[in-house]
Formats: sequence, structure tokens, C-alpha cells
Amino acid sequence: MPSTRLWEAERALPALGLINAGLWLFCLTVVLVPLGTVALYGLASGRLEELAEPEVAAAAWNSLSSAVLSGALAVLIALGLVLVIEHTRLPGRATLRILALSPLLIPPFIGAISWIGLFGPSGMINSAAEGLIGRPLWSIYGGDGVILLLALHAYPIAYLLLTAALARIPAELEEAARASGAGSRRALAHITLPLLRPALISSFVLVTVSNLADFGIPALVGAPERYETLATIAYRFVRSGTVDNSVELAACVGVVLLLMVAAGMLLIRRFSRASYALEPSVSRAAPLALKRPWLLGGTTWAAVLGITALPLSALLIQALLPAPGMELSWENLSLGNFSSVLESPWAAEGTQLSLSLALGAALITGVVGLAIGTVMTRTSLPGRSLLRKVSLLPLAVPGLIVAVGWLLLAPHLGLYNSPWLILWAYVMSFLALVVQAIEAPLRSTSPALEEAARVSGASALRAFSDVSVRLALPAAAAGALLVLLTAVRELTISALLLAPNAQTLGVAIFNLQQAGSYGSAAALSVLVTVAGLLGMGLITRRLHTR
Amino acid sequence: MTQTLRRRAALGTTALAGLLLSACGTGDDGSGATTITLYTSEPQEKIDELLADFAQVEPDIEVEVFRAGTGDLTARLETDLNAGDPGADVFLAADAPTFEGFKEDGLLMELDSEELDAVPDQWQDPEGQYVGTRIIPTVIAYNTAEYDAAPASWQELTEAEYDGQITLPDPAVSGAAAFNAAVWYLQDDLGEDWFADLGGNSPVIAESNGPVGQSVAEGSQPVGVVVDFMMRDLHDAGSPAAVSYPEEGVPYIYQPIGIFEATEEAEAAQAFVDYVISQRGQEYAVEQNYLPVREDAGTPEGAPRLDEISFMEEGLSEITEVQGEALDAFDSTVGG
Repeated sequence: MPSTRLWEAERALPALGLINAGLWLFCLTVVLVPLGTVALYGLASGRLEELAEPEVAAAAWNSLSSAVLSGALAVLIALGLVLVIEHTRLPGRATLRILALSPLLIPPFIGAISWIGLFGPSGMINSAAEGLIGRPLWSIYGGDGVILLLALHAYPIAYLLLTAALARIPAELEEAARASGAGSRRALAHITLPLLRPALISSFVLVTVSNLADFGIPALVGAPERYETLATIAYRFVRSGTVDNSVELAACVGVVLLLMVAAGMLLIRRFSRASYALEPSVSRAAPLALKRPWLLGGTTWAAVLGITALPLSALLIQALLPAPGMELSWENLSLGNFSSVLESPWAAEGTQLSLSLALGAALITGVVGLAIGTVMTRTSLPGRSLLRKVSLLPLAVPGLIVAVGWLLLAPHLGLYNSPWLILWAYVMSFLALVVQAIEAPLRSTSPALEEAARVSGASALRAFSDVSVRLALPAAAAGALLVLLTAVRELTISALLLAPNAQTLGVAIFNLQQAGSYGSAAALSVLVTVAGLLGMGLITRRLHTR
Repeated sequence: MTQTLRRRAALGTTALAGLLLSACGTGDDGSGATTITLYTSEPQEKIDELLADFAQVEPDIEVEVFRAGTGDLTARLETDLNAGDPGADVFLAADAPTFEGFKEDGLLMELDSEELDAVPDQWQDPEGQYVGTRIIPTVIAYNTAEYDAAPASWQELTEAEYDGQITLPDPAVSGAAAFNAAVWYLQDDLGEDWFADLGGNSPVIAESNGPVGQSVAEGSQPVGVVVDFMMRDLHDAGSPAAVSYPEEGVPYIYQPIGIFEATEEAEAAQAFVDYVISQRGQEYAVEQNYLPVREDAGTPEGAPRLDEISFMEEGLSEITEVQGEALDAFDSTVGG
């Protein structure tokens, strides 16, 4: 196994050392200080022991199991879709790709509500099943529903990461296997899949950790069956009004989640070592030859439509009906909800604010994540793997708790009621998306290029910026795209940090939903999704034609 | 990096900074106007309309609103207090027990308003630190496409006809729902037995009032236990939904308003509170489908008059006392 540690002498190089110090300073101020503030706030209250309750233990177990299972399921779904959509010449792949990524854009609580409309005890599908087979098909409420919905909402993250990794596998390898007599399937199993392993692992880690923090899905789908997670318990403490100084207790829940992730990182370290190093290649992997393209194509279309278009159309119907429960007929359909949303000042201001915040967060996390990811995989600077772990921590903490950390700091920073506060909270929470996106493809690229640059006389800094960083650029772009899409509809952080008279898109949708304006909430979600899909179509086309 | 890339990045950064700055700039465009900040859980549209009406009464007072769910409001206020003073002058949300907590911590100032006399005593703090603004009862809502007549009483919800049809908000999550659970628990004719019988009909425990209203209106759970104004809003929008005020009486909150002692704009804050409980403010509340806190403000279309509704009156101390018990009883019967 070739070593990925490059230059023995680089510790002595001031320029790279400076970059490293800068990155540490950044993580210290943007990640560790706010996270430490809220953790200390919880610990200093001395109330951690109040969490030693059977219900909290059960919730911790539910959090762990739902996050791990949904993480695995999301990676499996993504792998299947990536192989079919990105590794074959199936008709309509561009449309499939965009559709498959659409769940990213729908706020989880809105997605959960449309799934409940389909698979709730008296949802559309279960009522239909009642008529056909005499019993409901499957009730979404409970642990299984939470796991499934978490997976369906998070698989696009793994999809983007796996696509980036797949694009890095040189075509020569599969060609060599096929030239030696292996069929497509064998080449897939023995060449492609093993080479995707690092990306599979880093997307699993990313999805699992971020699902630990999700609140909307377990709150809506788990609650009816009394299925609680640590995230819903933290919110329950704050909302029930029966707990004194409830935020302290919520912060303690945050500490428990951080401990869980730290323990998980120690475990996962054993699996995440790269086992292969690839020579960088400019040729793309040849698509798989399909024996029955229409069969696979049909199945894929059905599956993708089932998991994306079905809930989207439920949302669209809701948006087109003036009020819920009105009969679905041509006369009743109206664009009233859309026009009222488009005319409301909140939607315009929310769009501007969310778009600025999301672009800002994508830009900053893109640049910083690129630097962290490159330092971590392409150099042997001290503390580089710790840097990655630090960036991953905030992802596991529910938005409420992240926001409390920043809110406690805000007056000292002079940022109280300032949009910059939300921007930094987004950067903190979403940095891991870029860092993780870079890790897998770069770790499995051999250091030959940097060595070649050095041999040809480039300085260490030059080799770093012209070779290593450039190698990481496509993955960083994919990561930044993820940040953009996640931040543009973000709810739980901004809900607490917004200044008076300001709203983000996520908060605007949530406010409409809470006020009973379900149609307007659905209309705004549909608009965000469609605009996001169009934007994503443009961006991914650029990424793919580069 | 190539030149073009670099240029593009520079352009992007400039554009972004511009966007952010424009997003920051709320600016001091008001000329001599006083600004107060309000924390509220009122629906956005309703509070916007109310403030537009207030602006006609007091054009020199600008009200900035931080609107959030009760939980986020609590979290924000607690964190504010940890760092110093509340970030708001006026608080309009939640229920009397929440305001009792504020009072105990010495956060509220005494209200000074002639309008207080028009609000019945049971809907304001005897020491005048907070006052009710809207009567929000929890009632039975039903889908009129699925049912011809409403369940007339809480007791009726336990009948076999409603097996699998009911949905209600989770008292463990929502403060208002927990308050209701304690009130039902205290009723001689309802109490724990009623919880058990209701549990027999396997109701769906929804996260909050929002999803309850939606599933009743859509008909996926055609009977719901939910706040009344939301269903009137849905009815007005065209949903096949109606409400019934059960004959045993209804649990209710009166959504208090109060001014934080730390305010620097006490006069403007007081003027806003005056407006909210004034006849004009209350008539506006009625227009927004709320039951008012004064007799002289009328009643929303399709709603009974205040004196026609029987309210379940329980002492705050009793409610606080049994709340834990009530939640446990609810959990082991309805929730189980």
C-alpha cells in the first residue's frame, strides 16, 4: 500500500504551516467555541444527571438505531441509483438524476407531512388498500417510518458523494478486467464497488451523523407511536413548559449527542482507512453494458418516481387546492395559493435572505472545506485528522442546540439580531458536508502527481495549490452544492437566530404550516423545490460536462 | 486557479457581500418613531394584519416582531436572559402558567391601562402584570363531508363510531395541550376514566394543533381535538370542517400579553397593550376568528357568544399540581 504521506520536510515549510494554523483558528472560533459554549452551559447547570431516566436511554437508543439504519439504507438506495443512473446509458438519465436529488430541497417536516398523507393510517394509499385487500398496507407511524423517511430524505447526500467518487475511477481498470474476460457484473463487483468503498463509508458517516440531529421527521412520524429520539426529547423539554430552565437541559442532551458521535468516530476509524490508491485519470469509467436496458430502466423510473414524484405530487395537490379537504376537481383547482405566496412580502424577503445565507455558507464552507479536505488527505501536517473530526461534530447536534450556542455568544460578538450570526451558524453546521465530500476521492488518489510536481521543481506550496487543491476541486464543488441546497430551506437554526421582522424560507414555510395555511406552505415548498431543481439542473450539467 | 475562475470567485464574493449587506440594512428610516420589539407565537399573517391596524391608531410606534413557536420563543427568551435582558419589550404568547413563571422571576412590569376594567377578572392577573388577549378554547372539530353531526360531548368521543377516526395534539410536546390534559383530568365526569375510554378508540397523537387541523380538514382523521379559531379559518377558506363546543365545557387559554420590566420604551409598549385589549383591537381579533376577551367586541361568524360557552375553570395552582399526574395518566392510556 503506497503511503499518502507526501513530503517529510513539510513541517519546516512555513507557508503550509500557516494554512494549517489558519484552519485550526477557523475551526476553533467557528466550531469549537460555540459548541463548547453550549456544552459548558449544559454541563455547568449540573443537570446532566437529570437525563439518567429510562425514557432518555430509550430515546438515545432510538437515535442511535434510527441514525445508523437510515444511514445504511440511504447509502444502499444511493448506490443503487448511482450505478444505474451514472454508470449506464439508460434513457432519460439527466431527468432521473435531477428527480433523484429532489428530496434534498423539500424541508423534512413538509416531506413528512406529504408522506403521512399517503401512508398515514387513513392516508390515500392505506385507504385504497383498505378497499382492495381489506386492510391498510403499512402505517408510516413509528420507528420503521422514521427510519425510512430519514433514509429517503438523506440519500441524495450519498448520491452526490458517490457520483463524485465514481467519476474518479479510471476507465482503464474496468476495461482491463473486461479484457481479461470478466463480464460487466464481475467487473462491477470486483473493481468498481471495492474502489467506491471509501466514498460509501464517508457518505454513511455523513448521513448517519446528520440524521442523529434531525427533528422534523421523528417529531411528526414517531410521536404518534411514542417513538422519541434525543432530538425530539430536547425539543420536548423546551416546548412542554413543564421543565424549569429547559434550555439547560436541552444543552445537556446536546452533550450526550456529542459524546455519542465522539465514541462513534473512534469506532469508525478502524474501517475508514483507504485500502487503494488510484492513479489519477482523465478517462471516464465506461458505462455498464445492459442486457435488458428497458427492464432496468423501467424499474428505476418506477422507483425514482415512487420515492420522489409521489410525495411531490401530494404536495402539489395540496398547493393547488384553496383549502385542504376540498374535492379534487378541475373547478376547484386554483393558483390562489401560489399568487398569495408570491405577493406576500415574507416570501420575497425570505428568498433574498435565504439565498444570500445559503450562497455565503456554500462559498465559505466550499473554500474552507477544500483547504481542510486537502490538508487532511494530501499532507502530513500535524492534527489533520482531528480537524476533520472537529468539523463533523456540529452536524450531530439539533439546530435548536446549535442556535442556543450562537445566541449565547451573540451579544459578546456584537452580532445579536444580525444575519451574520445565522451565516456563521450555517458555516459551522454544514462545513462537514464539504470536508466529507472531499475525503473519499482524495484519500484514494495516489500521491504520484504531487511527487511529479515536486520532482519537476515546484515548491511544496505550489504542488499543494496547483495539484492537490485542484484534484479536490470537483468534490469540493459537489460539497458546496450540498451546503447550498441544505441551507436554502434550513429551519431550526434560523428559527431561533432571526432578527425581528426577518424570515428565512424554511421559517416562512413553517410559519404558514403552523398557522393552518397548508396550501400556501405547500405552494412555497413547491416553488422552492422547482427553483432548486432548475438551479441544480444547471449546476450538475456544468459539473458533468467539465 | 485560472484567471477566469479567480475573477468569477471575486465577482461572486462581491455580489454576495452586497446581498448580505442589503439583507442587514433595516436602517433608521423612521423619523422620530419609537420602535418596540414583540415576541409572539401568533400566526404570521394574523400578527401582520393586527400591526397594520395598530399603525393606524399609533402611527409613531413601530413594532418589530420576532414570531416563533412557543418552544423557540421560550428558548430564545431563556438564552436572552442568560446573557442579560430580554430581547423584547412585549411578550404575547402561551398561557397564564408561563406568565406566572415570568412574574415569579420578576420579569414583568405592572400594566397601567384603563382598558383592563373591560376584561373580566378571571382573564387577567390580579396584580395587573399580564392580561388575556384572546380566548382560545380547545374544541371538537369534525370533517363535514364524513359526518353530518358533530360529537356533542367529550364523552361521545369514546363511542365505537369514532374508533380510529380521532386525532389530537401531543400533551407531552405542546404546553397548551398539557394544560388541557390537566383540565380534563380534574373534571369529575371525565378524568382518568375518560382518558382510558378515549384510548380505546386508538386516537392518532399528532405533533401539534397544525397537523390535527390538516388531517381533520383533509378527512384522513375526520375528528380532531383542536383550537377553535384554526378550524374557523379552514372553514372560511373552503375546507369541509366545522367545530362543536362540547356540552361539558371547554378547556381554554387566554393568551396573555405582558411588558418586560427591562423595557426602555414602557410608554410605547403600554400603548400597544392598550390597543390589543381595546374595543378596536378586540374587534379586530374577532375579525381574525378569535373569541375576544371583552363582551363588547362581538363574536366571530359561526361562533357562539362568550356567554353561551361553558368554560372549564380550574385554578392555576391546581393545574400545575396535577399536570405531571395528568400527563402520566394520558401517556399510559391514550398514548399507550
